[in-house]
This record gives sequence, structure tokens and C-alpha cells, in this order.
Amino acid sequence: MIIQTENLTKIYGRGETAVTALHHLNLSVDAGEFVAIMGPSGCGKSTLLHLIGGLDRATEGRVWLDGHELSKLDDTRLTEMRRRKIGFVFQFFNLIPVLTAIENAALPLILDGVKQAEARATAIEWLKRVGLAGQLTQRPDQLSGGQQQRVAIARALVTEPALIMADEPTGNLDSRAADEIVGLLRHVSAEWRRAVLMVTHDPRIAAYADRIVFLKDGTIIDETRLTGDGTGEAERVRVKVATL
Amino acid sequence: MSVRFALLGLLAQRPRHGYELHAAFEAVMGGEVNWDVKPAQIYSTLARLQESGHIVEEIDGTDGEGADRRVYAITEKGQTDLVAWFNTPVTREHQRDEVFAKLMLAIATDVAKPRHVLQIQRARLYQDLHALTVQRSKVDPQKDLAHILLLDSAVMHIEADLRWLDMVDARLDEIKRQPLPEPEMRPRGRPKKIVDS
Repeated sequence: MIIQTENLTKIYGRGETAVTALHHLNLSVDAGEFVAIMGPSGCGKSTLLHLIGGLDRATEGRVWLDGHELSKLDDTRLTEMRRRKIGFVFQFFNLIPVLTAIENAALPLILDGVKQAEARATAIEWLKRVGLAGQLTQRPDQLSGGQQQRVAIARALVTEPALIMADEPTGNLDSRAADEIVGLLRHVSAEWRRAVLMVTHDPRIAAYADRIVFLKDGTIIDETRLTGDGTGEAERVRVKVATL
Repeated sequence: MSVRFALLGLLAQRPRHGYELHAAFEAVMGGEVNWDVKPAQIYSTLARLQESGHIVEEIDGTDGEGADRRVYAITEKGQTDLVAWFNTPVTREHQRDEVFAKLMLAIATDVAKPRHVLQIQRARLYQDLHALTVQRSKVDPQKDLAHILLLDSAVMHIEADLRWLDMVDARLDEIKRQPLPEPEMRPRGRPKKIVDS
């Protein structure tokens, strides 16, 4: 398992004003699995991502990331985990405007102490894999939304993380670019075997996943399996077009 | 949808054999995966169209063994009705909604939980959406855009259904608190005679 949570609970505040954002939540995500998290605003999905990503600490319960229990790590180790084991993809891309595609993608490696030349080489490799061979030296303002998000995905992959966490990755894209990006995320899980955890409110985007987890008021209220064996192979299902 | 007008349309293009009509119908409607029509249904529809004078059977030469090759051809009546079909908007019966019926009856009886009805429907819609998405990703928009548009229609209807389910879910407690729709019972039997006192 890449992600495992046990009784995960997060309470903000104290006493009368305490808010339970997550309530004894149990979730597991395996390598090569693409899981979508859906739920109304306030259901706890952002809190869940923050706890799994080590950006916040649980009030109760435990989180394991690639076998490491996060509550046992100090801040330094936690930061290291985050840098090496997780790649983040955000709704608004979060690229650095003054850096080129290569420089943006190489950044996590540079921050980790990797030599400039090696970091650039790895970044170029990943940028080519996500289809940006022709845009390597361009800056974000010269790229379309979809291209910017591809840079972000390459950046998320350069440290060879076990997990990719995407928070509304298509929220800022038109429907064509959105399909390309979620298709790429599917490729990341199915072909490159990372665990991918994606928060989305868009059913068409969630439908690319292997599994959809529905959150409400801090707990999982339902889970739907979309693919047969969870390894990314879609079943060929006969769909009756019921409206005709 | 009745298959008859699609067949008339195909015959308006040119006369065809029965088995060719079956294949052509499925090809136009997005392939077998989207509309798997039984040959028997095609043939019984053709029989009815013949009976009603919309098509005629003609001999189109002979086959390799000397037997007559029969094709169907559209008649003038068929042509007129086909044009009328093109000029009439399609009616969709949105309000004949089985999910709605299940929901109301789940609330009225104690056989199932309404929320469970919504959940299983939602799960099925997502599975269908996934299958459509997979199918769509395999179609080449440069060569088969029509097929993509057909799938897009299905996708958009499913998205609408999911939105409705979310809306119902959010207001389910409210619905349960309101009285169930009951019919107005009118008094039965002969009206009483009004006698002046």
C-alpha cells in the first residue's frame, strides 16, 4: 500500500467551537491505483490531502505513506518525505513565472541537492514524456493552460515519487485540455505505476479513475469501483444509450 | 425510438438487402457497442413497412446460385413519411423517470432506504461514464467525429443525471418531512337526492 489511513481524525479548534473535519477515516491506495475523491464543500477532502501529504498532523488515528508512519516523523523528516515521496499538482498550476519549463520541472531536484546538470537532464526527460519536447525553454506565460499543467505534472514526477496528489487539477482548464490532463494522470498510474489521488468535483474527470471515494461531513459515505481489477485495465462494457 | 424511420432513411439513400440494412443501421448508430439491434427486429420492421406500403421488395438480379436477389426500396409514401419525420421534433419523455418512481416508493414504503436508492444509481452512472470515457478515448476525432458526438450526448445526459441525484441527496430530509403525494378521492356512487324540506 502506498497510502494507508487508520481512524484518521482531525479536529480544528477546541471546546464549543471545535470542528471535526475528518472522522475516523480509513482509506488505502495502492501503487498504480488512480483514486478520485469527491464530495461537497466542507466534506474534508482538502484536510484529507493535507494529512496524507504531511502538511498537517492528525488529531487522532494514523497515516502511513509508503510504509512510513507520518506521526512518528519530525518536521525535517516530514519535509524530506514530502519532497521525495509525493508529487503535487494544483488547480492553478503554481509554476514559477520567471523560470522556463525545464527550470520549473527541475526545481524539486535542485532543492534536494541534485547537481544542476543531472537535474536538468531528468527534467528534460520527464517533460518529453508528458509531451512537451517542443516547449522546454518556454516560460509559463508562453504556454497554454494544458501545457502549464503538463509542466506541473513533469515537475511532480522528477523525484520519482510513490504518490501523486492532484487537487482539482482540471479546475482551471477548458474541457479539451481537462481531458488531456486527466488522461495523462491515468497514464501516470496505469503505465508509470504511481498511486494517484485526485480531488475533483467534476464527474467526467472522476470517471477516469479506478475508484471514486465519496466524502461527506468528514467520513467516507460511499465508494464506487470503476475498473475491473484496479490495475488500470478498463473493462469493455456495453453501454446502452438509454435516452434514445 | 422506432427503428422504422432510420431504415427508411437508409433506403432513401439506395435500395438495399435485409442483412445489409442491419449492418448499415448499426454502423450509423455508433456500432454494435452502442446499439445492438437483433436481425429479427430489423426483419419484422421491414415486414411491417412493406405491409403499410412504405417500402417494396424488388428483384435485383440473381446471386451466384441463380436465385433471385431481393432488395427493399422506398416508395413515394415512404418518402413522404420520411420527410415528415425529419420535420417533426423528437419528443423525449423526461418525466417518465424510473429513478424518481423508486425514490418516491422508497420513501413511501419501508422496503428500501431512499439514500441507498440514490447511491446505487450514482454508482451505476459513474461506471457507465467510465465506460463511455474509455470508448471515447479510442475514437479518432479526425475520422469519426460523429461517433464522438454520440458518446458526448450520452456523457452529458449522465452528467445531468448525476447533478440531479446530488440535488435530491441534499434535500432528501426535507422531502421526507413533507406529506407524500396522494390522489384526491372523489366520492363514489350515485349522488344523494336533494329533497326540499
